[in-house]
Amino acid sequence: MENLQLAQLGAGIAIGFGAIGAGLGIGIATKGLMDAVSRQPEVAGKAFGFFLLGAALAEACALYAFVVAFMLLGK
Amino acid sequence: MEHWLYTFNILGHSLTVNLDTIFTMWFAMICLIIFAFVATRNLSVVPSPLQAFCEKLMGFFQGTMDTMMPSENRQHIPLVASLFLFILFANLMGQLPLRIIHLKEGELASPTNDINMTAAMAVVVLVYYVAAGIKKKGVKFFLHDFSFVSIVMALVELLEMVTRPLSLAIRLFANVFAGEILVSIALAASAYFAPLPVMLFEILVAFIQATVFMMLTIAYVSSAAGEEH
Repeated sequence: MENLQLAQLGAGIAIGFGAIGAGLGIGIATKGLMDAVSRQPEVAGKAFGFFLLGAALAEACALYAFVVAFMLLGK
Repeated sequence: MEHWLYTFNILGHSLTVNLDTIFTMWFAMICLIIFAFVATRNLSVVPSPLQAFCEKLMGFFQGTMDTMMPSENRQHIPLVASLFLFILFANLMGQLPLRIIHLKEGELASPTNDINMTAAMAVVVLVYYVAAGIKKKGVKFFLHDFSFVSIVMALVELLEMVTRPLSLAIRLFANVFAGEILVSIALAASAYFAPLPVMLFEILVAFIQATVFMMLTIAYVSSAAGEEH
């Protein structure tokens, strides 16, 4: 294969595996939010703020993969 | 996404700057300075709507500081608050129709879509929390109780000094950058209508990323200069 095709393959693999981790992380965070809210509905507003923070931190991992993929495509 | 690179020579060294980032950064700075100037004129005991809003904002910073750094936290509010406000202004600027102003190269967007900008802010945070730790504890900031475990921990903490600013910079940059790519993909799919929900989501992301940057800054300063646990 050409180098460009290999780079495109690498970019696809990078963003795919990166998204697995972030997806798992956000899923676990949502599960925690649901558990907390169903146990104590009155903390919903406060818990949602922390959930957004945690989801943003987990999502950042997928974005690192995105940056790597973009750098690979830019070669 | 493209930047307007401009190279000039200083003492035989060539220095390249991204002019579009500098323009948008100055624009955000001027907006913030005018906002701060207008908000602090004519302060009164019975606050005007703008003053009430600013007091709410200050209460938000103080409340966040109190929850994450219980003691001696007031001195760190200026850095944290200006970082939050600047990143918020900068991120929201990306949704303004600035692209109708054509440059020679590149385009005007939010300044945080440039990794140099976010890396500079991350380095400011690194220098600040190391300086705050040294000011609070002196040389003891670098020394912990002496044991075999602390030798390993020293290596980990040395690594942290690199990874913390790196992750701060790349997180903010990648979020804004990925947002712009998403908007351009939606724009290619169907102009005018498809980008709208993405742009609304980007407004949410602007607030979340400013909050995340602020929270992590407070956490780092707190771990360096806070009370021992």
